[in-house]
Amino acid sequence: METPSTPVSPPSPSSPGESLPDEGWVTAHPPRAREVFGRVLGFPRMLVEHRDLIQTSVKRELQARFTGTALGWFWPLLHPLFLFAVYYFIFSKLLQVKFGELPPEQQQAFAVFMFVGVVVFSAFAEALNRGTNCIVENGNLIKKLAFPSEVLPLNVALVGMVTMVFGILIFVLAAFATPVWMPPGPKLVWIPLLMLLQLVFTYGILLFVSSLQVFLRDTLQVITVLVTVWMFATPIFWAPELIPNYEVELAPYMPYIKANPMFHLVYAYRDVLMSAEPHQVFNHHMPTSVGIFALWAFGVFLGGYAFFALCQRRFADEV
Amino acid sequence: MAHGEFAVEAVGLGKAYRMYGSPLKRIVEGLSFGKFRGHHEFWALRGVGFQLRPGTAMGLCGANGAGKSTLLKILAGTTMPTEGRFRLGGKVASLLELGAGFHLEFTGRANIFMNGIMMGFSRREIEAKIDEIIEFAELGDYIDEPVRTYSSGMGLRLGFSVAVAVDPEILIVDEVFAVGDMYFQKKCIDKIYDFKRRNKTILFCSHSLYDIRQLCDEAIWLDHGECKALGDSVEVTNEYTAFQRSHIGETDEFLVDQFPTHSATKASARDPKRLPSITDARIYRMGTDEEVYEVESGDSIELRIWWRNPDPESTPINLGMGFLRQDTTTCAGTGTHFSDVKLDGTEGCTILRMPDLKLLSGQFLVPVLLLDDGGVHKYQEYLLPENLVVRSKTRDVGMFRFDHEWVPSDLEPPRQELPESGGREREVEGAER
Repeated sequence: METPSTPVSPPSPSSPGESLPDEGWVTAHPPRAREVFGRVLGFPRMLVEHRDLIQTSVKRELQARFTGTALGWFWPLLHPLFLFAVYYFIFSKLLQVKFGELPPEQQQAFAVFMFVGVVVFSAFAEALNRGTNCIVENGNLIKKLAFPSEVLPLNVALVGMVTMVFGILIFVLAAFATPVWMPPGPKLVWIPLLMLLQLVFTYGILLFVSSLQVFLRDTLQVITVLVTVWMFATPIFWAPELIPNYEVELAPYMPYIKANPMFHLVYAYRDVLMSAEPHQVFNHHMPTSVGIFALWAFGVFLGGYAFFALCQRRFADEV
Repeated sequence: MAHGEFAVEAVGLGKAYRMYGSPLKRIVEGLSFGKFRGHHEFWALRGVGFQLRPGTAMGLCGANGAGKSTLLKILAGTTMPTEGRFRLGGKVASLLELGAGFHLEFTGRANIFMNGIMMGFSRREIEAKIDEIIEFAELGDYIDEPVRTYSSGMGLRLGFSVAVAVDPEILIVDEVFAVGDMYFQKKCIDKIYDFKRRNKTILFCSHSLYDIRQLCDEAIWLDHGECKALGDSVEVTNEYTAFQRSHIGETDEFLVDQFPTHSATKASARDPKRLPSITDARIYRMGTDEEVYEVESGDSIELRIWWRNPDPESTPINLGMGFLRQDTTTCAGTGTHFSDVKLDGTEGCTILRMPDLKLLSGQFLVPVLLLDDGGVHKYQEYLLPENLVVRSKTRDVGMFRFDHEWVPSDLEPPRQELPESGGREREVEGAER
């Protein structure tokens, strides 16, 4: 190091290396556990500080997706509508898949069961498929602007939730307005909580995979495969309840099936949206599922955010 | 201010980029917890330290790849240092690239919001400033058109307008004046002066040593990531030009830097030793060997320019010079091609005699230019060792004193006969001024 002439006084001699207090200094050392912990705790504050940024970019993303199309905002409504029509026709009319003994007005139970599963899981899958690359994609921004890059995966997760809301909305409206399915009961109040947990879970995974993708571009390929496998591992297009006496027949597999956090999420949604007493389509204890999924969600979020905080300082060099 | 007396304080800053031969090596390195080293390091910057007081402007000069942008990126917070540390005493705004983050499908107005929010504004703050931003950008009705329809210069105006509206304590600018029309460049420079006046700190990087001298109090010269010189901007830029002169043609990279727009069609362009150059230029009191940079209005001075032109056949040259005021206004300028003076031979000294200097008091930059035969292409811009300081005894105002004489007279006012209205208009115009 050579500094031939110093314009002002030389660095104060009382600064011996790394041992001085960190006050205001940006240093080269990787973040310490304490700092990572601080970042995680400071997450709510970050949300508040950058709410305008988050709001604007989610809006921008949604606008970019739908502006220029003739039907605009009708598209996110039309998608689930067609989806449901197809499932209803194939599974309830053609194949006549049925859950055990049900009254005649619940014959389409399996179509509804699948529809709810698909709407919920595809929001999650779409967020993962789109979001894994979100840091790399926005490399230009990360290199040129100093802004909290954790909002990038958050945007993807939020946009996925918005499209899901349309699916749920369509279902609830249809249930109230048409004889397709019984209107859901007061359990609907659970929906905001379920969505929040789903958002936290999705965001946590995205934080992890999108930072991994920066260093290892194979991540996206793995995720694409993994999401498909995950979808079939979750009872979306199938249901254990279809097998008579499944609790005995499937006993060796049930622990594995239930180890999947998405199992609990999807069933919780179904419970809220499908079960109107006195008829029970499937036997399921929702609060337990919500509790288990909540644990998963916060665990995944904490792990993902800590990993992200560790990697973040190297993003600009790698994208 | 948040920390101590400095706006920017940097100690031993260094940045290494890791180069992995293949993605597989990265995996192996990651899995072995660093025991296997699959990468080699490239140090883009190393051991750079300085301190800046509020209200100081510092310029960064150096060849391409010297680490200027890396240093600015570190200070702007978009990348982290590999070693060393720094701290900033206030809000930072950086213009590493104008228009970074513009969304082409959205209108200019929508992009002001998005870009501003990215830079840390709240929506309300932007709403308060949007008129000011739009006014500064001068895009007219285009502000409500998609940015995709903008010319590059218009995008630039929009980007700069948003960034300066942030009104930071510290402004970091990476070579963004290189584009944009003269009018807007001037506007940017005025804005930067305005920042300085309000005691803001500015860091900026430029290949134009002239800009650095003009805008900055201090300068840092980086070479291959290391700090070669640090201090007064005039001294540092002089050291840098001296280095450039002594190393002319040392490397290709340097050549590109020195002659950024030289057409490659000429055979000599590829051979640095055959390119023309100004070897020295100084101002003397006319007819004497007394070198002067502080003169009085009305003094007689001469500018002596020593040049070399190894290949006069294929690269005929001309010399140009000018007097520039601090705000880049050219007060006067001339060139050998305007006077049909031929510079023959492979080297020589050409003297520009300036009897009875008419400049009024002020500090003037005197760039000496080495031009091609048409006076269009600039081979080299040579900076005099010092700025020319002119003092004036008269109380005339403006940039120069013109030959004049005040004479009393008793002439009648002229009768206005034919175009009466025309005469009036002229009167009105005069009154407004």
